[in-house]
Amino acid sequence: MSKSDRRGVTRRALFKGAGLAAASGAVLKPLEALAKEEGASGPRVQGPGAVKATLEVNGAKQTLEVEPRTTLLQALRLPLDLTGAKPVCDRGQCGACTVLLDGEPVYSCTVLAVEAEGRKVTTCEGLGTPENLHAVQQAFVDHDGAQCGFCTPGMVVACAYAVAKHGKDLTEAQAREATAGNLCRCGTYPHVLKAAVAAAKEG
Amino acid sequence: MKAFAYIRPQSAEAAAAALADNDGALIKANGIDLLDRMKERVDEPNALVGLVDVEAFDSIEVEEDGGIRIGAGATLAQLAASQVVERFLPSLAYAAGHAASPQLRTRATVGGNLGQHTRCGYYRHKSFPCLKRGGDHCPVLKPGGVQDTAAIFGNGTCASASPSSLAPVFGSLDAVLTVRRGEATREVPFAEAWAEPKAGWASDLVFDREDLIESVHIPARAEPQRLGYEEVRQKAAFDWPLTACGVRLVAEGNTVKEARVWLGSVAPTPLRSEAAEKVLVGKSFTEARARAAGEAAVTGASPLPGNTYKVQLTKVVVRRALMQAWGRS
Ligand SMILES: Cc1cc2nc3c(=O)[nH]c(=O)nc-3n(C[C@H](O)[C@H](O)[C@H](O)COP(=O)(O)OP(=O)(O)OC[C@H]3O[C@@H](n4cnc5c(N)ncnc54)[C@H](O)[C@@H]3O)c2cc1C
Ligand code: FES
Ligand code: FES
Repeated sequence: MSKSDRRGVTRRALFKGAGLAAASGAVLKPLEALAKEEGASGPRVQGPGAVKATLEVNGAKQTLEVEPRTTLLQALRLPLDLTGAKPVCDRGQCGACTVLLDGEPVYSCTVLAVEAEGRKVTTCEGLGTPENLHAVQQAFVDHDGAQCGFCTPGMVVACAYAVAKHGKDLTEAQAREATAGNLCRCGTYPHVLKAAVAAAKEG
Repeated sequence: MKAFAYIRPQSAEAAAAALADNDGALIKANGIDLLDRMKERVDEPNALVGLVDVEAFDSIEVEEDGGIRIGAGATLAQLAASQVVERFLPSLAYAAGHAASPQLRTRATVGGNLGQHTRCGYYRHKSFPCLKRGGDHCPVLKPGGVQDTAAIFGNGTCASASPSSLAPVFGSLDAVLTVRRGEATREVPFAEAWAEPKAGWASDLVFDREDLIESVHIPARAEPQRLGYEEVRQKAAFDWPLTACGVRLVAEGNTVKEARVWLGSVAPTPLRSEAAEKVLVGKSFTEARARAAGEAAVTGASPLPGNTYKVQLTKVVVRRALMQAWGRS
């Protein structure tokens, strides 16, 4: 993407000396207007108000209005209605919001939505469909991988990553390592690990 | 979190310019620590200078003379998976690969790891007074203060413990930070990068708002280096070390010619233990010698009533780190 294509306004010194006042109403003009007022030099600036961001989620490109402070988790749940990833701690300390970003597991509560632009996001919903479950999802059903279900979407994503990484030979120890960043309040861990190993064998 | 403008420069130079041009703007790497503080409203910046778009900020390179340069944007997962790091800096690979959790290691950067603020619960909650946030005292030190993870050294005015598990390793490697401010860069030896706690100075580093860590340099060495890192944690994941130790030894036969011993998580900053080094240098290496170095490392400790146990743990991690390094001939 060339710099001039970028939607963000470029106004390098906007906040110089303006302190917190700069973040208040005065600068919350429509971005298009600002972009026209300003030259195209200096780094890209987004916000503080809403900006448009195009995210590729589960294979589909979607353009949203988000503020820079909107987390990827918030964007997935509200505008996109993908409620698999759960807001539990919102501090990177539980794993319930785990999604894949360019194929790598991350906590979506610690990622800004605007930073996911141009990258591939995969949520639990993107792994399989109700008619055609992903091997890990099917294995969670077969092996009672969920109790209350709150940690489950994050666990499924973490396990799907482990299966993709290690293939058929995924060991229980590797599955344990891959889910080390996912807490389960109900203590379903043994079933989760069984499901992951079984799903890997299924291929 | 308060609304902020997000500035996205594409080079370190442009990032430094953006910091200079925007009063109050803070550096954001991948935000694991910074967004946490902003969600708690401990920090309320009006703008962030994001490093996500900065080119080649995550490179790990072996230089011509054999030195290794690690970009500040390299992630802990990258360090743990890098063949260069595994081969030449195994203690760093281990520390990075065991920190936090898999999802966090995917994102956590080296610059952010060194720049992360203390995990002290009082610091992180605005409703408590805190010296680092400009208050007149440290509540950890008051009777009834929560002390279990607090510092056991240098804790007279503030008992916050340095959180980074990479820090004691970088210390043991005599790392040098390349720091940019405006158009100039400077080289800062690791030992000079840390600030003793003082009222209103939230960061553990001496750097101020406009200082951008560009890379961490590990100098080349002519002789083989024996490296070790050990830590003890309450939980294997989602946690910071209670105590940690990074060591580097150079041997001549059975004799220790050179030793570097750095402790993490036991003082407000990473801490070099010259007392432990003295016990080792010029002597033949034995397990008893490693144990004596562990004893020496805790001389001068000033544990609080709630964390005396960390003294014993620290002796043990020093011994284990030394044994590990020695075994890695
Ligand atoms: C549950 C949990 C467990 C954890 N366990 C561990 C652990 O065991 N060991 C450990 O070491 N860490 C641990 N961490 C901390 C984690 O490693 C750090 O939060 C992470 O490395 C920060 O990187 P970041 O890129 O997200 O930084 P950010 O959050 O973006 O930045 C952190 C700070 O550093 C500053 N900063 C960032 N980059 C630069 C730069 N290039 N130059 C100057 N300043 C900069 C920022 O301004 C900010 O103040 C844990 C975190 C969590 C949430
Ligand atoms: S909600 Fe993101 S890790 Fe807990
Ligand atoms: S199934 Fe209830 S939290 Fe995991």
